[in-house]
Amino acid sequence: MWHRLLSTVLIGCLSFALWLPAQPVQAAGCTLTAIVWEGYTDSSFAKKFEQDTGCKVKATYAGSSDEMFAKFRAGGGRTYDLISASGDITERLYKAGLVQPIETSKLKNYDAVFTSFQGGKWNTFDGRPYGVTFAWGPNVLVYDTKAVQPAPTSWDVLAEPAYAGKISLPDNPMTIADVALWLGKADPYDLTEADLAEVKQTLLALRPNIRKFWTTAGELANLFQSGEIELAHAWPLTYTQLSEAGFPIGSVSPKGKLTGWTDSWMISKNARNPEAAYQWIDYVLSSEGQKGVMDVTGYSGATTLGAAAVGAERAHELFMDDLSLHSQIKMWQSVKNYDQWVQLWNEIRS
Amino acid sequence: MSSSLTQFPHPRSRRRLPLPVGLYATLLPPLLWMTLLYFVPIVLLMSYSVWRLEAFDIVKDFSFVNFRTIFTNVAYRTVILRTLATALGVTVIDILIALPLGYWIGRYGGRYRALLTLLVILPLWSSYLVRVFAWKIILGYNGVLNSALMAVGILQEPSQVFLYNQFSTILTFVHVWLPFMILPVITAFERLPQDLLEVSADLNAPPWTTFRRVVLPLVTPGILAGSINVFSLTMGDFITPSLVGSANGILLGNVISSQFGVSYNWPLGAAFALVVMLIVFAGLAMVLRQGALDSL
Repeated sequence: MWHRLLSTVLIGCLSFALWLPAQPVQAAGCTLTAIVWEGYTDSSFAKKFEQDTGCKVKATYAGSSDEMFAKFRAGGGRTYDLISASGDITERLYKAGLVQPIETSKLKNYDAVFTSFQGGKWNTFDGRPYGVTFAWGPNVLVYDTKAVQPAPTSWDVLAEPAYAGKISLPDNPMTIADVALWLGKADPYDLTEADLAEVKQTLLALRPNIRKFWTTAGELANLFQSGEIELAHAWPLTYTQLSEAGFPIGSVSPKGKLTGWTDSWMISKNARNPEAAYQWIDYVLSSEGQKGVMDVTGYSGATTLGAAAVGAERAHELFMDDLSLHSQIKMWQSVKNYDQWVQLWNEIRS
Repeated sequence: MSSSLTQFPHPRSRRRLPLPVGLYATLLPPLLWMTLLYFVPIVLLMSYSVWRLEAFDIVKDFSFVNFRTIFTNVAYRTVILRTLATALGVTVIDILIALPLGYWIGRYGGRYRALLTLLVILPLWSSYLVRVFAWKIILGYNGVLNSALMAVGILQEPSQVFLYNQFSTILTFVHVWLPFMILPVITAFERLPQDLLEVSADLNAPPWTTFRRVVLPLVTPGILAGSINVFSLTMGDFITPSLVGSANGILLGNVISSQFGVSYNWPLGAAFALVVMLIVFAGLAMVLRQGALDSL
């Protein structure tokens, strides 16, 4: 029976096709491998680095800090040379012995890093720097300016019945910290069981309004463009991407109710190309690298070179002149009862 | 012992055939393949499922804590039940579509049978992802369906009810797995002896009785073979629900992928994967007893 043969072949093909997307990233020759947040190795500025050093940059995007940590650790730290770690996993990486201390003397541009970021408590352990801060920013409220009028000023807009089925939240347990902030909790990363129950109530009440939980910035941009949603809790990256695409997008950062991140480059203890990794970090601290990151993502840079490269006006917009926003943002940190957070998140999603 | 060994070469053993080296050699590649790509991963999966996560570290101690979490947590139980219901629903709908189609192609396809069968499996030549995305484009807020309904005046403004819910999930599953149901059903109908239907008619059985008492029992193995395809494919899938599914309608596949990805709890994810395997094996065992694979 040729049907029998055919179905066997077809099932075989299908399972193969499903198996393909998991492509391992391997270092070969001078290939710098990195696991990063979307946009941090964008070809618009990585190309120059590749030309200057002859090293190819091969990056994997992660959807959450936990995924980043897991993938970084999976290959015994050999799979990736670099990681763009946010403040919630820097300490975890250090404690797991996965990263090596940074010799700042190897970085020509290290002096340009804002003084308060040198030796920042999020990447300095045991008195030694294990990471180099290069970008930071808040999680913002983005909205379709045509559909949402007047411009929102607070997160409360997400719960309005007018936007039922028109909002999107990140599919990431860290979103719980944002909800805790909306509820007025002082420390959104230290929540008791009662606090978590309250967060759960709020999220459950919000659920009918949620059209989709987004996992990548690309997916979120697509949701806006296809008219599925009008409001979202997002990274500034989405605002940058959509405004460049000519989409009527607005962004607000409700004061005092912001979570955010401070990202550091960290080098794997077992990195195959530590020299190239140092070169990359140095490049990202330089005017070109900083401008590249800021232009692509819309995040704030971390060096005086970067501030000069984008001009005083833009640097002021990104709060790089006085860093006043940086101290207001509740930066992502390690959460002690994170298991409970994940559980709560799964309950919301099911 | 060594002395007793020296007593052997028995005179008769000389007549014994030489070791069938060729046979063993041909068995070796599939055996290696199965061991490396099937048995080893399953053993790994099983060992992970009895380990546990503590403070972001996998503790390699034996315990059933993951399985307890799965079966005591209300949310996880809901997901298991929802996945089961979805998989069964998709299977039943596919059977209902495949039966008339298979009957028609198998009996009346005539010289076009090969062509018609080809048309059934043609969608499989495009990527699975493309087919799921196509449904997103059809059912979306500014999608094909909404535009069409607005053009003929049924809707005044685009509706949100088509996409991101259980309906769109089931519809997409039904479509993408349909060929896996139709193929064995066509085969079953091709094997159905025409004379039996004539005998049944000669004995004055109305068409419905003929279908129920003669046709259905004979094509059941084909239906079951298709069912196990569709059921197991649906049980393990996470791409369809994450692309077209609802915000609060995740399936087991999504839970597993999030445990291995975003939440980094491999032990719990492995335990979930085992639960899915057990459900599929249970289904397979039930279906095998009915002789399903005889006609795949």
